[in-house]
Amino acid sequence: MIDVRHLSISYEGSPVLTDMTFRVAKGTILGVVGAGGVGKSVLLKLLCGLIQPDDGDVQIDGLSIRGLDDDALADLRRRMGMLFQNYALFDFMTVGENVAFPLEQAREDSPQDIQAKVSERLSEVGLPGIERMYPRELSGGMKKRVSLARATIAGANILLYDDPAAGLDPVTSSKIFSLIRRLHSSEGVSVVVSHDIDRMVGVCDEWLVLHQGRIWFMGDVHAVRASNDPVIATLFDTQPQEAVR
Amino acid sequence: MTSFLTRIGGTVRSLVVLTGGMFLLLMKILRSFVPMACDSRETWRAFYKVGVKGFPIVVLTALFTGAIMVLQSGHYVARTGATSLLGWAAGFAVFAEIGPILIGLMFSGRVGANNTAELGTMVVTEQVDALRSLAIEPTAYLVAPRFLAMTLMLFLLTAMGDLFALVGGAATAKVMLDVPVGIFFQQVVDAQLLDEYWLGLLKGMVFGMSIAVVSCYFGLRASGGAAGVGRAVNASVVAAAISIFVTDYVVALLWGAM
Repeated sequence: MIDVRHLSISYEGSPVLTDMTFRVAKGTILGVVGAGGVGKSVLLKLLCGLIQPDDGDVQIDGLSIRGLDDDALADLRRRMGMLFQNYALFDFMTVGENVAFPLEQAREDSPQDIQAKVSERLSEVGLPGIERMYPRELSGGMKKRVSLARATIAGANILLYDDPAAGLDPVTSSKIFSLIRRLHSSEGVSVVVSHDIDRMVGVCDEWLVLHQGRIWFMGDVHAVRASNDPVIATLFDTQPQEAVR
Repeated sequence: MTSFLTRIGGTVRSLVVLTGGMFLLLMKILRSFVPMACDSRETWRAFYKVGVKGFPIVVLTALFTGAIMVLQSGHYVARTGATSLLGWAAGFAVFAEIGPILIGLMFSGRVGANNTAELGTMVVTEQVDALRSLAIEPTAYLVAPRFLAMTLMLFLLTAMGDLFALVGGAATAKVMLDVPVGIFFQQVVDAQLLDEYWLGLLKGMVFGMSIAVVSCYFGLRASGGAAGVGRAVNASVVAAAISIFVTDYVVALLWGAM
């Protein structure tokens, strides 16, 4: 479903990601891990077409993102939902308007249906009844959950999560990962970037380890467990035994 | 010598990139009007913000502009007794040149700077990326409504500013030279300054366009967190002021040639 071929990108002459090739099959939740600044968020933005690679290509269901014009890219993005690392909530809108935004732009539901869906999704992320509040009135964890609600409300089947648990307490973090698992469609793909490997283990089907701007490892949890690679050991070392169990 | 030439070349290149980027942004904005792709709620919000933020500063600027014009000419008028020229002098200076320029500069400092800061903050907090990820084109959604609002509102604010400038001028003429308010306004009417009035309104509209393009351009190119937004605002205010004088010159030139 997602086919990445020889993807490379650099910033101001410094390579960020180099020659990345991997596939993510339908129904998979891919966990992307690596040290800070290795290019995980950049990879998500490349998958979404928010930035263009220097070389290589990203194909979604055989459709190359590179060759698409603005309209075709917009059509493709309607099938995607992205949770941003820094929430990226529209600060001039209320929480309700933020979450409703993808549905309002799609113009497929009545205002009453949109309102009902927004209430339901906010309840699912544990924030019922905050529709009238503004993002500035929320804590970091609440913003993250509102952002998750906005990313998933339109029923996109390609979901990209950039550090969904950053800044959250362990209980909320667990809830978020459970929600990611529950919202994942067997017909879709989810890509989760996080440092919370402990909680990712119960959610991700496949793992992609980035190191020094390259794919260092890709495989399932059993392959992770079987690996003696020092980079993988270091990454999973925070809770290595629990993480790969 | 080589380093001097390199610096000149670098500056010229930066200028070409800057003006080219602004021109391309203008083209993208105009393209989003055919067919009309502006979000109605965002457009209304832009009109409200631009109008509300711009009105007080325009009124204040206009009142003092008119007053200063009369104050400056008042000494000569008092010395020569040519009070009948007072309305004409104030109207001529305010309508065609000083009024639109000062109103444009103040509008740029208030509304344009705010616009750059708002868009710049949206860029560095990934809100613009979030829009794109939701299949919304930021130029049509964020920039086009602001362009429309600034262009039309500065046209209207200049029209209102002209009135307030005359009020400021009339009040000063009454206090300084004891010229009755009614006589002052009659002098303005008798001076037949309709051409100057329309020229001023046209300038206001063109200034609104240039402030919108410049402020949106720098806002959308902000990077590097809060410090980057600050730099973008600074650059935007300077560039908008330059663009006001350049467009003033071009409009006056074209108007004179007509």
